[in-house]
Amino acid sequence: MEHFNVFASKLVPGRELFSPGHKACQGCAPALAMRYLLKAAGPNTIIANATGCMEIISSAYPDIAWGVPWIHVAFENAAAVASGIEAGIKVLQRKGKLAPGKINVIAIGGDGGTFDIGLQALSGMLERGHEVLYLCYDNEAYMNTGIQRSSATPMFSSTTTSPAGKKIPGQATGKKDLAGIAAAHNVGYVATACTSYPFDFMAKVKTAFETPGSKLIHIFAPCPTGWRSAPNEIIKLGRLAVQTGIFPLYEYKGGQYHMSMELPFLKPIKSYMKSQGRYRHLSEEQIAMVQENVTARYEWLQKLAAASQEG
Amino acid sequence: MAKLLMKGAEAIGEAAIRAGCTAYFAYPITPQSEVAEYLSKRLAEVGGTFVQAESEVAAAQMVYGAAGAGVRVFTTSSSPGVSLMAETMSYMAGSELPAVFVNIMRAGPGLGGILPCQSDYNQATRGAGHGDYSFMIIAPSTVQELADWMIRAFPLSEKYRNPVMIVGDGLIAQMMEPVDFDAVKAEEMPDVEGWATTGAKNRPRNLINSLFLDPLKLEEFNHHLKEKYERMAREEVRYENYMMDDEPELVCVAYGTTARIVKTAIDVLRAEGLKIGLIRPITLLPFPKDILRAESEKPHVKGFAVVEMSNGQMLDDVKWATLERKPVSFFSRNGGIVPNPEETVEFLRKEYERTQK
Repeated sequence: MEHFNVFASKLVPGRELFSPGHKACQGCAPALAMRYLLKAAGPNTIIANATGCMEIISSAYPDIAWGVPWIHVAFENAAAVASGIEAGIKVLQRKGKLAPGKINVIAIGGDGGTFDIGLQALSGMLERGHEVLYLCYDNEAYMNTGIQRSSATPMFSSTTTSPAGKKIPGQATGKKDLAGIAAAHNVGYVATACTSYPFDFMAKVKTAFETPGSKLIHIFAPCPTGWRSAPNEIIKLGRLAVQTGIFPLYEYKGGQYHMSMELPFLKPIKSYMKSQGRYRHLSEEQIAMVQENVTARYEWLQKLAAASQEG
Repeated sequence: MAKLLMKGAEAIGEAAIRAGCTAYFAYPITPQSEVAEYLSKRLAEVGGTFVQAESEVAAAQMVYGAAGAGVRVFTTSSSPGVSLMAETMSYMAGSELPAVFVNIMRAGPGLGGILPCQSDYNQATRGAGHGDYSFMIIAPSTVQELADWMIRAFPLSEKYRNPVMIVGDGLIAQMMEPVDFDAVKAEEMPDVEGWATTGAKNRPRNLINSLFLDPLKLEEFNHHLKEKYERMAREEVRYENYMMDDEPELVCVAYGTTARIVKTAIDVLRAEGLKIGLIRPITLLPFPKDILRAESEKPHVKGFAVVEMSNGQMLDDVKWATLERKPVSFFSRNGGIVPNPEETVEFLRKEYERTQK
């Protein structure tokens, strides 16, 4: 709980390495993720950024929001390009052409660029164990191209390619377990985070860089444009996603699971869904079904964490 | 039927349904994601299938699978996505499978921009993938023509058992124009029993394959493909003549979006008495080479003017087709900028005056 009740801006470096003035929508939580990420990673960082919202809003020539070395890569390749950066640094340092010392290499992809088209490159990077932090900012659909479903889109969510209507209830399948996929590669560190809990997220970025090998942080980042919710609600929505158990915060470290936040009880998911246009069509029955899945998954994670503690 | 006011991207989807195609695989990319959005609603109403793939590689390979199973199928994408489909294109041509691909081109290279461009001409006409193969490439210039060619493209691809690609740009895909979907009659899919992998009960199995380890067999197969492409070149060339009846002295060559602007510019200059015409290739491949070559031989033709939204890709084909018997001049805007009529008029006037010297 140590990082959840803190709200002291003095604890965070004032310097903005992800500068304001970029082209994100009002209330964009992924842009907050970029800002916090760089506050935690610091200037000695190289970023490989896949095509997606964060790349488009931050880098349209001649403007750039990135205060650190940054490379744009095709949609499917952030992890592969980051692997190349890390391997290149290694060889330069080995040959004495680059001063020794740690350079933070970060690959960034959205949910489409990570869960879908970038999964092959991500798996390769994790399997080879490159010293890279992969950050997936998850706003639960292809928002940049106009709100098409991805395999991170939650069940029943209405998107432009999973439109809710008489024949289809919205997205037909549930969200892929990205953190689970990363953990299955037996990497040193995997964590979930949420833009509504910046201190927790920044602490996780620091832990990631203290852990050798590949690491992945999956950050939940609400999108008012794609979710059809109010821009001033994104912090509240992120908190509710965590507090309802829809997006549990946990870490996987050295083979052990730890819940990041002890929840005395799960808030009903309806409190989270009701202000979002993408869920407006849901029947009570469908909400109950989602509630059941959410509770079951949360309890399963709790069991993993409890077993880790016992073990 | 009454005309419907429709966005180009939606007309692509509706025309495919009218053509009898109810299988569509795609991956989102601007400026044509509206095709998938339209069909994700519309295909459910007609009992069709839309699968959103996890990448363009997968979307194209789903097309390969469905085409191999003898299903009328298509996909749509835009430039960077089409690059990812290149491998499949080569395999489909090599396995002689019919399907329709649509490339709503955007400005490149790399991620480039999302605005209209014609810089994938070489990618389309030279074959994006590896090997000795070609697609048939069709470039409509209005939403009506886009719908018409969507309906024609399926039977064409089935006739040759070779994929057909329709190319447009953001202007054609995003613009709304009236469309009559009955302007072209849809054709039934021919029998696929002889080659499709539809199950081998009570008949020998069919195989879909493009591996030939015996070089003589592969050479023979490539000669067979060549004959097919030569037949396309004989039978399928389509183009439009605009103001070509009164012995124009300057012949413009432009396709798709730029052809619309060139027509406007020609109208302006015709009012001033300048004899300028346009040959608009509708099939970029097979290219109307013989038509342009014949023009180049006519004594009244003093020069050719190519207008393109690229650094000059079709330009090479015009030079080759005309053997540069007459000067071939070139005007382009690039990077997502569509040439405006004024600058096109200025260019053509200057070129016309040059032919008078």
